[in-house]
Amino acid sequence: MKPLKLFLCILLATQSLTLLTSAQTGKIDSTSMVTLRIDPQSARGAAISQIFDEVKFIPLETTKESLFGNIAQLKIAGNKFIVYDYDTRSILLFSDEGKYISKIDATKLQTDKEDKEKAQSYGFRTVNEDGNDYIIIFTGNNVQYFTMDGKFIKKVKNYSYSDEITMSNGDILAKLGMYIKKGKDSTFYKLNVINKIKKDTIGYFKFDTKLYETDDWYGDGGISQYAPNEAFWSTFYDYNLYKITPDKVSLAYKFVLPAINTLPKDFLTNPIYVKKRFDYFEKNKKVIHGLGKSYLLGDNLYVRFSNVFWDKDQKKNLIYNIKTSELISFQDLEPDSLSFFLPITDSGFGYDFENRGFLAFEGGKFYTSYSSLAMFAFKERSAGKTIKYPQLLENYFKTGDRKSNPVLVVFKPKTK
Amino acid sequence: MRFLLILTIGIVCLFSSSSYGQQAAAAPTTGTIKGIVRDTTHNYVLKAATVSLYRADSSVLNYQLSNNYGEFKFTNVPIGQILRIDVSNVGYETFRQKITIPKGESMLDLKTLVINPRNETLKEVVISIPPITYNNDTLEINAAAFKLDSNATVEDLLKKVPNITVWGDGVITVNGKEVKSLLVNGKQFFDGDNKVTLQNIPKNALEKIQIFNNADRNNPLDSNLVANLKLKKGKDRSYFGKIGIGYGTNDHYQIDGNINFTTPKLQLSLIGATNDVNKTPNDINTLVRNSTFKGTGTSIEYQPDFRQVGINKGTVAGAKMSYNFTPDTKEWNNKSSVSADYYFKNIESINNSQNQTITTLSTNNKIFSFSENAAVNNSESHRQNSQFNYFKKNHQIDISETFTTDNSSGIQTNIRNASDNNNQITSTNNGSSTNNSDNQNFNLRANYSYNNYNNWKQRFKGFNLSYNLAMNNRNSDRNEITAFRDLLTPTLNRDFNRNYQTNTKSFNQNINLVVRDLKSLFFGNKNFSNFNGELSAKLDLDNNKNKNQVEDLNGNTYKPNDYLSNDLQTNQAIFTPGFSISKNFSKNLSNRYNKNLSIRLTAAQQLSYQDNKSIKSFQNINRNYNNFVPMASISYYNYQYGTHSTNISLTYNTTIAIPTVNQLAPLTDSTNLYNLQRGNINLVEAKTKSLNLSLYRNDMRNKNTLNFSANASIGLIEDAIIDSSFIDARNRRNNYLANANGSKYARLYGDVRKSLKFKSAELKFGYTTSFNINRTPNYLNGVFNFSNNTSTENKISTNFTFKDKFALEGTQSIGTSSSKQKSLNTAYKNVTLTSSLSTNYNFTKKFSLNSNISLNNNNPSVGETVNFTIWNAEFNYRFTKGNNAEIKLSALDLLKQNRAIFNFAGTNTFTTSTRNVLQQYFMVTLSYYPRKFGNNAAVKK
Repeated sequence: MKPLKLFLCILLATQSLTLLTSAQTGKIDSTSMVTLRIDPQSARGAAISQIFDEVKFIPLETTKESLFGNIAQLKIAGNKFIVYDYDTRSILLFSDEGKYISKIDATKLQTDKEDKEKAQSYGFRTVNEDGNDYIIIFTGNNVQYFTMDGKFIKKVKNYSYSDEITMSNGDILAKLGMYIKKGKDSTFYKLNVINKIKKDTIGYFKFDTKLYETDDWYGDGGISQYAPNEAFWSTFYDYNLYKITPDKVSLAYKFVLPAINTLPKDFLTNPIYVKKRFDYFEKNKKVIHGLGKSYLLGDNLYVRFSNVFWDKDQKKNLIYNIKTSELISFQDLEPDSLSFFLPITDSGFGYDFENRGFLAFEGGKFYTSYSSLAMFAFKERSAGKTIKYPQLLENYFKTGDRKSNPVLVVFKPKTK
Repeated sequence: MRFLLILTIGIVCLFSSSSYGQQAAAAPTTGTIKGIVRDTTHNYVLKAATVSLYRADSSVLNYQLSNNYGEFKFTNVPIGQILRIDVSNVGYETFRQKITIPKGESMLDLKTLVINPRNETLKEVVISIPPITYNNDTLEINAAAFKLDSNATVEDLLKKVPNITVWGDGVITVNGKEVKSLLVNGKQFFDGDNKVTLQNIPKNALEKIQIFNNADRNNPLDSNLVANLKLKKGKDRSYFGKIGIGYGTNDHYQIDGNINFTTPKLQLSLIGATNDVNKTPNDINTLVRNSTFKGTGTSIEYQPDFRQVGINKGTVAGAKMSYNFTPDTKEWNNKSSVSADYYFKNIESINNSQNQTITTLSTNNKIFSFSENAAVNNSESHRQNSQFNYFKKNHQIDISETFTTDNSSGIQTNIRNASDNNNQITSTNNGSSTNNSDNQNFNLRANYSYNNYNNWKQRFKGFNLSYNLAMNNRNSDRNEITAFRDLLTPTLNRDFNRNYQTNTKSFNQNINLVVRDLKSLFFGNKNFSNFNGELSAKLDLDNNKNKNQVEDLNGNTYKPNDYLSNDLQTNQAIFTPGFSISKNFSKNLSNRYNKNLSIRLTAAQQLSYQDNKSIKSFQNINRNYNNFVPMASISYYNYQYGTHSTNISLTYNTTIAIPTVNQLAPLTDSTNLYNLQRGNINLVEAKTKSLNLSLYRNDMRNKNTLNFSANASIGLIEDAIIDSSFIDARNRRNNYLANANGSKYARLYGDVRKSLKFKSAELKFGYTTSFNINRTPNYLNGVFNFSNNTSTENKISTNFTFKDKFALEGTQSIGTSSSKQKSLNTAYKNVTLTSSLSTNYNFTKKFSLNSNISLNNNNPSVGETVNFTIWNAEFNYRFTKGNNAEIKLSALDLLKQNRAIFNFAGTNTFTTSTRNVLQQYFMVTLSYYPRKFGNNAAVKK
């Protein structure tokens, strides 16, 4: 399932080498750790309007040029959507109303004579350098810079690919997988916090990158930033949610799951599992291997459990209220008039939400998407409801069909 | 064609009347009931909860599954009647309420119905079973909720379930999607024939039918529906079958029996049949398929074959068992089973024929030959098969073995003569022969394949190794007596009385190894622009021994014939190493389409060595052949989500045919002067280059699907081994062989199927076409000549079923054949038209009528036009409580018109042949259908 992701991960990890003046190994603060005992299957349902303030559907315009598969990566840049589509290997730009603007496909990528392969994109990120915003595209050869309108600027080699977020107005950087050099030795840490003011780097969770080759790692987590100075991080085969703040990394939540969903205690240490993890998951399909991107919004903890083998009835995307301990599952959310009786994820029909979770959390809103194939099926199912669709959807249903581009779904969670 | 027209009109009438009936029934005395099902404990609506409406007498009025918003809505509900509503769902307590639509109102809104989760610790109290339930992606149809009569089968039940259609040909569709496999308790039932399953298992032995989709995650909309019949506990031990005895006019008789036993792991079938009405099943399954409790319907598969020539008395017996090692597995890659069968067949046949052949020697020079043959044959054969399949994860092993042994003896006499253009007899060649032979065959096929696509980190992706062994031993004794009389030159008269004793032994082995995915093996996950490689090696080793002892009658004693007596041994080895390179182009757009084009080129060299050792020095030939046998293929695949998929492939192939020693240097037997086989030592191998195009389209829409497939091929044979015949005025013929270019062929086969579903009827159309054209060169008396042969066959079929009352199947076919020889200025043509109509009408559950009629018209360019109609009809009446006994009156060939006349066009010949056939008879048959599912007593009410 995630071989490519992992392959890239190894590739990226081995290339990221950072030199800093001061470096040290960090300690995790677990004094305020909260244990959460959760049985995902006991989660309840709710009407969409009870959980969210606003739901918006943005069909992405379908033209001969803008036709793409599905959204592998989404970035909201001001009033633009930047979409990466793995099928066509292109980055597409749409307006906030879903109108197609332009795209960066293979024709816009530069390949040099000495390049090993024809330039092709493996994803993108937006950066701000010297006051300018750029879309940077990862290729097998280098990193290529484009303006926010899709115009080529430059190519850069030796770029640090690892995922990062910023806090304290850019003074603090939290970065995934990175080597920190200390004297002659360099040590790889899974999580690194760089303080630009103090000019120091603290590495957390030392890791031997050889293990990437000698064992199998199924991960889904990463850093998810839900407030200007707060983010969660989680790692392989672990049910702990770590909180990153500008001054420390702390263990915030420790999940205890029912036995049927839980990894064996010795899963990481017992050599019988080495290189046999896939077999183990195949035999124990309900086992959760870790946490996905999670968010704390008000009292609601949006948490995602990951497992290798798919089971439609397993509830894995949950909203847990840390005050009332009420547990709500995404797949039991009932579409109502707020969402025009349409679901906000494609669970039960397609696999976009199942595979990717939220595409983005930006400006207090979650973003997901689903295919037109799903959208038209959902519309058919809601036949009989008297619905006045907003203009964007109304036009889409008139002019689009099951083969149109995917539809973005934006929903704003209630925080009180 | 007129049949089709009548059929179409009939169907149209039926429909118009039935739809009119529907409208009339819709009176304003009905209203609507609606509501929402909700679980307030978990605060969500229940999707796919079963909502059932019952009448006051507890019979099911209607039912449905709640939709995505938990809503349900029943229309056409009678107003003012007391009804009961049940709402049930897995893991919930059943909600039950009495309801009535008040008079004067047309809508009853039940608003929100609250349904409570079942407390796990409390014992489950089942109030009543809902007709259908939806549980974890599986639709379950609960047999107990449907009230049918006690003799009903699973087929009767399925016909009562909305959205499920059982088509006339046994195909089952659920919401228009075809059920790809029908299982019983998770296993294939006998040979997986839907009919055997549906028409035998009593509805009362069934607990429920589970319907689920096995589609993979990437193609969620692909239909791979599985229907599993879950039997009630203990009902998986059963026996069922049929025993029938019939006696008819002209002392015709038939006895057949089939009985099947099942246990959770074992399935066993026993069959036996004997008759003199051309009903000789070729395998066990035919009899099992046609012994179902429901009866045959419109199927004419197991009927007296009036097309079969001769008068035949056949007796067959057989047994078949299969054993499943993993009865409970649901995983596709964890299955092991063993199956074995035994089949015995004895045929006594009397064949009489008269043949008239015109042979064209040159434009105005023809030979007319006549022959009359009478033969009595008796053959007895035993066949035993076994198969073992093992499939676990990456390993798959298939081993199968077949052993056959047969004995046959025959006696025949023939009268032959030849006449010239002036109708003057030039020669006669009469003879008689007797033969006895016994034959033993053993075949072993073993295949092992290793596939490793799960673990993406492992470089070695797999290989395939197969081994085949074929052994044969044949002994025969033959005596031929012929008398050739040359009426023009009596000195050329010849008499023979010859004995042949032949022993043939062959031992053939074949090994094939394929190593796949070389790219991954050598270069890991590197892409190489989707190029890949494959290595293959094939080795064929043949050893054939042929011993011939020939004696001629000389005076009163048989003396050895030194020329024809022989001891010949042939060893042949063919090694074909090959390397393939392939490239894939694929284009995917998520949820829209998935297209793939792959090109594959194979370079292979075929190295052959043939060594012949004989006591005849001129047969001591050893030869090497070395040929480049390239292959190429292009295949294209287009999967459009939710609508259809198309597969197209184009293949180029080269095959080599090595001349055998009997083609190179045969021993010419002069007994039959009308046919002397000579060889040619200078023959070289023939090389066939062929191009094949195939097309397949699968419709994935919900209803009114259109599916088609087509296959076309053309071929060119270089150095084809052809006949070079020298025929003299007395029809004495020497057949030499020669190599020649210019041999070509083209073939086309196509098949279109369209199904339509109406409210209570189903209609299926099918069209098949086949077209063959070939150009075969030959030499006739030294003159080079091309024979152009064409044959076509077009068939339209319609299958119509109306509820379970009436079934009708009509076909219309037209076949043509023609043969033209330009240099001889001859052309022969033949057109055959066949219309057939087969109907089945069930007057009541016990009484039914079957009738089938076929109109045959055979119109050759030479000779008489033959028209005949075969009409068969039968009445069936079932009696006893379980409908287990049946009496059948059948009338076959009612019009007494059956004839067998064949026209056959050869390269420069045209033959008209008349054969003896089975004709009109009437028969009374008594049958008993034993049937028991479960340990105790017969099917309970």
